Amino acid sequence: MLPIVLLSVFGIVVLFLGFSKSKNILLPATLLFLLVTLIANFVDWNHQYLYFNDMLWGNNASMVFSGIVLLSAFFVVALTRGFEQEGEAAQPAEYYGIMLFSLVGAIMMISYENLIILFVGVEILSVSIYILTGSDKRNLRSNEAALKYFLMGAFATGIMLFGMALMYGATGSFVISDISEIIGTRAWNEQSQLLYAGLLMLLVGLLFKVSAAPFHFWTPDVYDGAPTIFTAYMSTIVKTAGFAALYRLLAGSLASLQDYWFATLATITVLTLLAGNVTAVYQTSFKRMLAYSSISHAGYLLIALTSLTAKSQSSILFYSLAYSLSTVSAFGVLILVSQQQASNNYDAFNGLAKKNPFLAFVLAVSMLSLAGIPLTAGFMGKLFVFTDAAQKGTIWLLVVAILASAIGIYYYFRVLIAAYFKEGDLATIRIAPFYKVVLIIVTTLTIVLGLFPDLVLQLV
Amino acid sequence: MSFLVLIPLLPLLGFLINGIGFRRIPKNLVGIIGSAGPVAAFALSVYAFISFQAQGSAPIHVHLFDWITVGTLNIPFAFQIDQLSLLMLLIITGVGSLIHIYSVGYMHHDEGFGKFFAFLNLFLFFMLLLVMGSNFVIMFIGWEGVGLCSYLLIGFWNKNTNYNNAARKAFIMNRIGDLGYLLGIFLIIQQFGAVEYAVVFEKAATMAVDSPAIVAITMLLFVGAMGKSAQIPLYTWLPDAMAGPTPVSALIHAATMVTAGIYMVIRSNVFYSLAPDTLDLIAIVGLATALLGASIGLFQNDIKKVLAYSTVSQLGYMFLGLGVMAYSPSFFHVMTHAFFKALLFLGAGSVIHAMSDEQDIRKMGGLRHKLPVTFATFVVATIAISGIPPFSGFFSKDDILANVYQHSKIMWGLGVLGSVMTSFYMFRLLFLTFFGTFRGTKQQEHHLHESPLSMTLPLVVLAVLSAVGGFLNVPEALFGSMKLSGFMAPLYELAAKANPVAFAHQHLSHTQEYVLMGVSVGAALLAALGAYVVFVVKKSVPAADGQETGLQKLVYNKYYVDEAYDAIFVKSMRTASDLAYSFGEFMIDLVVNGTGKVVKNAAAKLRLLQNGATSFYVFMMVLGITVIMLWNFWIK
Repeated sequence: MLPIVLLSVFGIVVLFLGFSKSKNILLPATLLFLLVTLIANFVDWNHQYLYFNDMLWGNNASMVFSGIVLLSAFFVVALTRGFEQEGEAAQPAEYYGIMLFSLVGAIMMISYENLIILFVGVEILSVSIYILTGSDKRNLRSNEAALKYFLMGAFATGIMLFGMALMYGATGSFVISDISEIIGTRAWNEQSQLLYAGLLMLLVGLLFKVSAAPFHFWTPDVYDGAPTIFTAYMSTIVKTAGFAALYRLLAGSLASLQDYWFATLATITVLTLLAGNVTAVYQTSFKRMLAYSSISHAGYLLIALTSLTAKSQSSILFYSLAYSLSTVSAFGVLILVSQQQASNNYDAFNGLAKKNPFLAFVLAVSMLSLAGIPLTAGFMGKLFVFTDAAQKGTIWLLVVAILASAIGIYYYFRVLIAAYFKEGDLATIRIAPFYKVVLIIVTTLTIVLGLFPDLVLQLV
Repeated sequence: MSFLVLIPLLPLLGFLINGIGFRRIPKNLVGIIGSAGPVAAFALSVYAFISFQAQGSAPIHVHLFDWITVGTLNIPFAFQIDQLSLLMLLIITGVGSLIHIYSVGYMHHDEGFGKFFAFLNLFLFFMLLLVMGSNFVIMFIGWEGVGLCSYLLIGFWNKNTNYNNAARKAFIMNRIGDLGYLLGIFLIIQQFGAVEYAVVFEKAATMAVDSPAIVAITMLLFVGAMGKSAQIPLYTWLPDAMAGPTPVSALIHAATMVTAGIYMVIRSNVFYSLAPDTLDLIAIVGLATALLGASIGLFQNDIKKVLAYSTVSQLGYMFLGLGVMAYSPSFFHVMTHAFFKALLFLGAGSVIHAMSDEQDIRKMGGLRHKLPVTFATFVVATIAISGIPPFSGFFSKDDILANVYQHSKIMWGLGVLGSVMTSFYMFRLLFLTFFGTFRGTKQQEHHLHESPLSMTLPLVVLAVLSAVGGFLNVPEALFGSMKLSGFMAPLYELAAKANPVAFAHQHLSHTQEYVLMGVSVGAALLAALGAYVVFVVKKSVPAADGQETGLQKLVYNKYYVDEAYDAIFVKSMRTASDLAYSFGEFMIDLVVNGTGKVVKNAAAKLRLLQNGATSFYVFMMVLGITVIMLWNFWIK
């Protein structure tokens, strides 16, 4: 509860700080607020808590999930220093405020006990992201992306709400532990059809948020159109919160129905893996590729979810963290390079390694991690996820996933080939010291977690 | 006894310092750092030796950490210090220290000075690991590590393609042997479920003589020894290995690394004592190698090549000894050989140094006046290796030959023949190099000079050791007490219990021993005399390249073994590899490019779905939901 309260208060404070003359205070203040919240997030460590009339529930795992979200937010906000100088169009106070507010939604999605809270969380997060997507007000594509996202998001929210209503109709409760109890008294083929319809629609609504196929079509357009920094923001935070919410729903109340939803979810997983990975191959824009990459990683995370073994939670958790770290550094490099080159394409990276070995290295670690090459966190994440599938015994799913990740190597390495082996006239890029520190931390974490995954796993 | 860890660690430290900082550290400091590690390790080894004896000569086991644990198999990272490893430690660090000090002078003008010391230190580290490890896997780490260092140092002057080829040859030949060694380890794990010496040998001692598993293990391990210790058929790399700097030839390719095979056999004496068939093979291979090496040595004109073939031949003697279960005499020969062969190589290095990198003995001559210290020490070494009393080589070789005589008189006869050849080629080398008149260019003659103190000092120390080293193990016939053999006796207790028949020697009578000694010493002296007549009295000089005839040509060209290997193995391997390559190229390209094309085409199609129209996206979502609903409610 504390982080939610703090973030709300801090968000308002940041808005007021926006009135002050010196805008320079905003970034450090926001970072400080995030840091305070990050610490406050863990006050209930080793306790299970229930707040707000038992509508909010949490344990160590959900605190770690919130921690990942807050940490990613911290890194992304720290990287806004590169974004900030975009002239009069930028209104930092509002953006920082909205980012803080959106985190309230994310944390609610992670630790809901009542479906109402889930809905409110999804809405808080989504509405914030709609605004952030359109924040580049004079850029037509940014506007287009915001509108598209909003339209489709509204549609998905409608479906989700409908699903919740149907579930309420079937069980008489919004509380997921109650729903679990009510469902648990009957075998899966004796449940009411109302429940199933509700369940499927609720799933669809959430799957839309994590951009699973065939509900992923918004992702490339929105990611591409949004200002890069906010693309980084949504691809890390929305994804982590979305999967935490899905896991909570499936494990917390619908685990006994796994036989029912397994086939549907497995099909969606395969579709997501293929759509993400195959389409990514054809992209010429690095940023757009990252959008497809985000779809394909949703596919890998879905594997753990579909398998739903005892270890799925820690797999999802570790994978989200690994993915968030690599994504932050990939976007961090992209922001610098695209500022210099005025392009998001692969060839903007040509010859990066020659004058900017540090950036090239950060990029390399990030790509290797996303591709799942050993000694990086991404490899460990994939390993855990695949282990889940193997435990569940769905070998065919595993085969698809491994083929998909083989395809992944192709498009992740393209940018490395450009950076290391192609000739280019990229000049030395000046990196602000703080920006550099963030990149170093993120890269180091990626490697350290690739070597010692237990550092995080033992928390859960 | 935790200080034992420092023995391998100090050279490793030297490697790290010099290896990382060799561009920045000044030369003098590099030499000091590089030599300090081995010298300190030697001091510690001596201390270890003393405390080992003080505490009653029981094997010391130093457990560092559990390294690999898989199921019931546990491979600890541990050291075992007993008589064998202690003696090896003393040889490696002692001779190693001398050669490091020598290198300070010898390599001083080389631009890769720091790199050289780094590699040399790394070699010591691995060699120490090899002899200190308490199980076959640690030995294997050392085994591979010294192979790597040998490769690096043979190809040290890597701007020369021939040297690089020599390095590769050594590495590949060793790899063939290593495969055998590795299979041997696998078989040990499969048979005994452990790799620790103590456990494995305890279990092996209960097995029957000549049981197939033991024979297989010993054969496979011996394949490894063939590679590392340059025995037929894997010996051809060693002469080529002379491409490396001379101190390397002395340390790695004469004194230490090439004796790893002998160490391994003695270490596994429980196995070998239970496998008489393997022992017979080892004796035959050893004897054949001894003769082959010696005969090739007769006609070589490169000072280092002569010594290289001599090493091959001496290693053959050691294996001959092992083959007749004369473990201690073989080890004795390892030790004396380390002294006099290191000395010979270092002496040769000193000559080469003085001759401005000339190695052809036909262009030398009369060097004894200009290089008095080198000459004097070289003489000592030559007498020692030729087996002339009272220098060290006599005692160790005689010890082996006496044991061989008990085993088979024919083998003994052939062994003596080998030592006749040894004596001849060594005195030939000595006379051609140091006697007569100078046959090189004027410029070379002008440059002739004795080497600096850092090079002559090790020569003198080694000369003393070569001269008196033999007194460590004087036979009873010569009123000695076989000190070394007595010291090493506990090593074979287990084997003697397992196979008492093999250890039941009847001793030769003293008269018989005198006769044997007389024959071999007399033959060696005659050969030396022959060499004196040919090369000093008649002043004949070997013919120029390409002018040899008949048998001489055959031997000079090393029986065309290299050419035969090339024709049989290398060429056919190349052909097979070409075939596999072109086939693989075709098939793999087909599969890889085909997959790539399929994915790309699919991507091109899928991409079209992303048409930017929101209405279409929503339509797809609706379609998706509809299909899900239909499937779950009606079809399923």
